[in-house]
Amino acid sequence: METLDYLLYGFRVILHPMPLFFCFIGVLIGTLVGVLPGLGPVAAISLLLPFTFHVSPLVSVIMLAGIYYGAMYGGSITAILVNIPGEAASVVTCLDGYQMALKGRAGAALGISAIGSFIAGTAGLIGLSFLAPPLAATALKFGPPEYFAIMILGLTILVFLAGGSMIKALMMASLGLIIGNVGMDIITAQPRFTFGTTILLDGVGLVPLVMGLFGISEVFLNVEQSLKTQEILKTDLKGLLPNLQEWKESIFPIARGSVLGFFLGILPGGGAVISSFVSYGIERKLSRHPEEFGKGAIAGVAGPESANNSATAGAFIPLLTLGIPSNAVTAILLGALMMYDTPAGPRMVSQHPDIFWGIICSMYIGNIMLLVLNLPLIRLWVKILEIPYPILFPLIILFCLIGVYSLDSRTSEIFLMLIFGVVGYMMKKFKFDGAPLILAVVLGPQMDKSLRQSLLMSGGSPQIFFDSPICLGVLAVVALLLFVLPFLPRVTRFRKSLGEESEQL
Amino acid sequence: MKHPDQYAGIFGFIVGLFVTISSVFYGIGSFSGPGPGFITLLAGVALTILSLILFAASGRRKLPFQGLRQIWEGHEPKNIVYVLGLLVVYTFLLEPVGFLITTFFLMVLLFRVQGNYSYKKVLSLSAAVTILCYIIFVQFLGVQLPRGVMGYFLLF
Repeated sequence: METLDYLLYGFRVILHPMPLFFCFIGVLIGTLVGVLPGLGPVAAISLLLPFTFHVSPLVSVIMLAGIYYGAMYGGSITAILVNIPGEAASVVTCLDGYQMALKGRAGAALGISAIGSFIAGTAGLIGLSFLAPPLAATALKFGPPEYFAIMILGLTILVFLAGGSMIKALMMASLGLIIGNVGMDIITAQPRFTFGTTILLDGVGLVPLVMGLFGISEVFLNVEQSLKTQEILKTDLKGLLPNLQEWKESIFPIARGSVLGFFLGILPGGGAVISSFVSYGIERKLSRHPEEFGKGAIAGVAGPESANNSATAGAFIPLLTLGIPSNAVTAILLGALMMYDTPAGPRMVSQHPDIFWGIICSMYIGNIMLLVLNLPLIRLWVKILEIPYPILFPLIILFCLIGVYSLDSRTSEIFLMLIFGVVGYMMKKFKFDGAPLILAVVLGPQMDKSLRQSLLMSGGSPQIFFDSPICLGVLAVVALLLFVLPFLPRVTRFRKSLGEESEQL
Repeated sequence: MKHPDQYAGIFGFIVGLFVTISSVFYGIGSFSGPGPGFITLLAGVALTILSLILFAASGRRKLPFQGLRQIWEGHEPKNIVYVLGLLVVYTFLLEPVGFLITTFFLMVLLFRVQGNYSYKKVLSLSAAVTILCYIIFVQFLGVQLPRGVMGYFLLF
């Protein structure tokens, strides 16, 4: 019952013109970003981050969060109509969604995708509303050793689930820790890796880093390719609502996707992408007609699309309650909250309840807005798909330039962004995943602080990490993930399939 | 010819070694009083060792490789060099010349990178984008963008 009171409080906080307006802007941009291939929610949030400093922290995070879950809705539109995933979590939607479109059922595929996303998103939010406060209360008992162990676990899971080589993912995590600790040491004020300049004394800014790594590098990747015109399926988008038979085939996949996506979203490294893959596999296994998967089975659209939306709600649990992001998007959101001076974590519920409950309640309203936006405006999104990339990429670059410059009015920040743009481009060419790096950059300073505090508390003895049962359990899982599971054949095949799917993007 | 991962391994090794040595100079302290270089030492050592593993593992692959050339096969990396060059020049000129002029010319040149649009279309689109961005970001959002040589003319 207490949770209902808090939810009412949250709705009172956000039911005002500004928060509602920015929620709408966030979900609109999120859908747009999801529709446009080549520009994912990470890049979009990076691009808009500097502009959010002109409004309040609550309104900023509402908008940025709206981009995240809005992109899940938008990604399915391109997957169904063009057979290209608008963003990573819609890869599996291409398999059956496009086949449905070829059979003249594009409307039903788009409709079930939007409705399933709404149901699952709402279910995920209910889970978030009831699970987050008790988890935050438990986390208040954590000390530096527990925090250090959980951060290591978060990084390890992300590395384990990153598509491709674990060695490369670990290298990225190590590099991220190094970049995250550039600047003045918080305890001794000793400058580290500043190369004698004042630009890096405050560390590497999150904004130039993410805009370079994800925004500029993506532009570079697309600019070097010879363009092929995207062929949008010319199909009549009649009948956006599925028929009764399609509803019958979808309702249980939506329910299963909602639960599965939510719990997978909580796991660091889990998130929308993994949950959509797992949901597809489960639906195919449980289906009475598995042979229809890949040929236009509606369950193959309903389940994964529900799972990826529910996962976005689940991803907010470790972010808001522990202050530990579970993927690149929430890592940037964490960085943004720190920059607004409202750090996420167990004290957020008590110290910033308006922001904590405001974010959660805004997501309920955002999901309704998305359902309203997606169904009637599908024809508009199809038109947007026709914007040629030679027109789009200069606009993306311009937003990056203005965004970075607007922070401190320094051109040195632009140069830093361009350097990271080149780094991000090379990372993608050599198949290094950026997610472990960004997570490590955001967590790096906190890990440094927690580690040093722990060792100071114990007088230098690492035994402190094994005295706490939570620490011990967490470190055991880390050891399992790093030294046992990667050598099991079934796990190796699963990780390899993740890598192959992510390379298709 | 080396596998591309071997080049990545060499680069990672150099970076890791640099970080490790620098961390020692910053002072690693002791377990009871870790210094500023403590965590970066751990990360640097990890990066160095992982890079060596990557180098060794990729060297054992049996397929013939074309080295770095295979990464850029079928692509036009000269476009990237051109775009990057434009952005570097833009950044140098942004403050002395001003946002409006530098952005207009940047947009003209960028719109012509991949598309075969007429100069009339490119010039009008560039002007429209530049002015619209100025109005939205400077007027509405209050972002401070450099006026440069236009400072005397822009009274609002």
